[in-house]
Amino acid sequence: MDETNRLLGLQDEAVGEDSGDTQKGKYMIFKSGNEYFGLEIQYVQQIIQYQKVTKIPETEDYIKGLINLRGRIIPVVDVRLRFRQGVCEYNDKTCILVINVKSTTVGLIVEQIAEVAEIREENILPPPTIGRAEKAHHKYVYGIGKVGNTVKLLLDPEKLLYDDDPADSEQGKKSEE
Amino acid sequence: MADDFNTESMLDMYLFENGQLLEQLQETVLEQKDAECFDEDSINEIFRTMHTIKGSSGIMMFDNITAVSHKLEDVFYYLRESHPDNVPHVELVEHVLEVEDFISNEMEKIRSGDPVDGDATNIIADLDKFLNMIKNGGVPAEGNAPPENVHEEPKHFYIAPVATSASRFYKIFITFFPETEMANVHAYKTVYALKEIAEDILYSPEDILTDEKSGEAIIKDGFRILLQAQCTEQEVRDLIGVGYDIEKVEVYECDANQFLLGFEFGDSEPAPQIDLESSVEVIEAKQEETQKAAEEEKKPEKPQIVPGDFVIQSKEPGKQKKLAKDKPKGEKASFISVNVSKMDQLMDLIGELVISESVVLQNSDLKVPGLNLDNFNKAAAQLATISTDLQNVIMSMRMVPLTNTFQKMNRIVFDVSRKLGKDIEFVMVGDTTEVDKNIIEHISDPLMHLVRNAVDHGIETNEERVHSGKLEKGKVTLSARTEAGKVWICVEDNGQGLDREKILAKARKQGILEDSKPDAAYTDKEVYQFITLPGFSTNEQVTEYSGRGVGMDVVVQNIQAIGGALEIESSPGAGSTMSLKIPLTLAIIDGIVMEVGTSSFVMETGVIKQFIRVKEDMMVHEPNGDEFVMIRGECFPVLRLGKWYGLEEYQESVEDGVMLILEVEDRKVCLLVDKLVGEQEIVVKPIPSYIKKVKGLSGCTQLGDGSIALILDAPGLVE
Repeated sequence: MDETNRLLGLQDEAVGEDSGDTQKGKYMIFKSGNEYFGLEIQYVQQIIQYQKVTKIPETEDYIKGLINLRGRIIPVVDVRLRFRQGVCEYNDKTCILVINVKSTTVGLIVEQIAEVAEIREENILPPPTIGRAEKAHHKYVYGIGKVGNTVKLLLDPEKLLYDDDPADSEQGKKSEE
Repeated sequence: MADDFNTESMLDMYLFENGQLLEQLQETVLEQKDAECFDEDSINEIFRTMHTIKGSSGIMMFDNITAVSHKLEDVFYYLRESHPDNVPHVELVEHVLEVEDFISNEMEKIRSGDPVDGDATNIIADLDKFLNMIKNGGVPAEGNAPPENVHEEPKHFYIAPVATSASRFYKIFITFFPETEMANVHAYKTVYALKEIAEDILYSPEDILTDEKSGEAIIKDGFRILLQAQCTEQEVRDLIGVGYDIEKVEVYECDANQFLLGFEFGDSEPAPQIDLESSVEVIEAKQEETQKAAEEEKKPEKPQIVPGDFVIQSKEPGKQKKLAKDKPKGEKASFISVNVSKMDQLMDLIGELVISESVVLQNSDLKVPGLNLDNFNKAAAQLATISTDLQNVIMSMRMVPLTNTFQKMNRIVFDVSRKLGKDIEFVMVGDTTEVDKNIIEHISDPLMHLVRNAVDHGIETNEERVHSGKLEKGKVTLSARTEAGKVWICVEDNGQGLDREKILAKARKQGILEDSKPDAAYTDKEVYQFITLPGFSTNEQVTEYSGRGVGMDVVVQNIQAIGGALEIESSPGAGSTMSLKIPLTLAIIDGIVMEVGTSSFVMETGVIKQFIRVKEDMMVHEPNGDEFVMIRGECFPVLRLGKWYGLEEYQESVEDGVMLILEVEDRKVCLLVDKLVGEQEIVVKPIPSYIKKVKGLSGCTQLGDGSIALILDAPGLVE
């Protein structure tokens, strides 16, 4: 929790300046499954702690439902389920990353927020086209960012929200509904 | 046209004010469309309206609007001065409406940023023709006719007088120094000062605020004021005397008769001098030279009378209406226009306030045993009262009367009935009924269809009416009333009614009816509902207004979109009634909160007929899984909400849950939920569009504890 708040502070700072330059190249890094993902910080509106989600029937399983964000009702998506990484228990490290993409506000449930990292363009590589792990979500991943010795998968938030289920393109895994 | 200006706010103001003027104009005109002629008040009002529009359009340089309004102003000027008798009233009404349409249309263009290019020449030519016609066919001998109101001519502003015996009348001539710039503004300052004491004030040139050229005229010819006030000459002088650019002021007292003569005082005794140079009796000494020097850039105006000026005569002081000036002033003081988005924002905030209130008042910290909360509870009760009041106020702010919408219908009846040659009386009842703003926007079109249909299809032609022994004049009634939390808007005509046989025949032809079912098996209500199907029209001929068979289905769609319904009643030969039943507001509904498993749901109170607990032995299970319940001999299909939505932890046994009997348009269904929580007002919010539409859900809301409940859509569930 402390960690979250510290990051929130960081992020507020970045958003507060609200100029493209200071935000450029900064990524919100979060952990899902065993991998770390990065999302350009300009999309991130805020981070809140996990709160109770109101389920909506008859929707895709990765849409967990609705939350009340200070009077606004927004949908939340479980990133693990979206990536077909299997269900995981929510704990006190679970956060909701509120992102705003093309004036749609959506909350992303992520296992753990890691950090805000700066990744220079020269450290971003195109995603590999082979390799099982990446293949499951390479549609959402537009690049691989190197931070020190680790790599982060950089996400395209639009595809994350709107593209069809990754399983559909995979070798006949159980399809959605 | 207005390109040279970068005057957004001016333009907004222009559009807003003129829009209101036009609305009011239309109302006035339609009110009296059936009268013999316009009464004096209306003539004055139309005149004034046109004059104002002309003035403001002139400033904004919308020349075509200026020209048209000027022409109509001419017509009404003539009417008001000459009182011609045989004015073809209906034709006049049409002319006025035509002008109004033209201006509205142009204003629409302005609003959307298109060039204001409407061609006004036809309308102007028509008006000219009309004006000539009433002049020639007319009463007053040529000689007596007042001079035509030519555009350049200055007019006198007119404020209705309220004379008392204590009133005194003054003629005032003000001369400005020739170098004065913007003499018109200075003149206006004077008028403004005098208005404080004036019971009636006229001045010339009139256009001092709107017409920059008037400044030159004032310099040249002087500025003349007719003043009626209860004060002494010295007081008048004191008021005027504050200007430094005034070369001289002449004040004459006169009597009421002279006053009424206005500036046309050929023989009235204190004939004012025409040019200021020559006016000798300088009453007030010139201003000090020093002052003059200091104020070189400003200029003095000089008041004078031009023989060509004419006066708009005020009515005799005896029978005035209220001060014309009072009226607009009062309205301005009591209304402001607010951006709807701000209202929405306010409403959201109040919603949040209510929720955080409950978070505070039900805070778990308060549950510590042994706390003395007496004072806290008192304060909490006070807070709750205030926040409830706050909610009520914001809701009432969103409510607007249907008057404007109804007024539009009046216009439609007028247009359509004239074109069709039908004589129709239009009656409006309850037009002040208030409805949420969002809803008003949605009912205007459907209502228009219904009214048009009533005039076109409902009411027979004059001959048919006479033939069937009815009054020749048809009657269309538009009424609104609030009943049981809904607004009913009814369009009623006393025409021929719906033809059941014709509708059935048509329905059979279109294959809507089941072959096996005889005509007689359909109830009237069912039959009438056919006309709301797409492509269904029994009118053989397509007219300009109706008959294409689109319309009723659109009406029904639009009405359903806002949660309303259309009911049709009709009796052959006696007329039909179309009733729209619409919710008062979209934003807040009365709802029953209930729980299924761990989820909360809300159902609109209106559709719930009954709550009932049932026993297992009342259930009927069909082999295919469908369930029914027998309640007092009636059999209802059962919907288990938990099962339907695949929720967790819901009650399996009907005996542990509660049944809700829902009724939507005569279809009934039983809904099984776990338990009821209570009834409360629900602020409806849409489900975020990111989530695809789920059948049976119409929205969501926040409950008092901040959690979210889904709002069930009864029609969706019944299907």
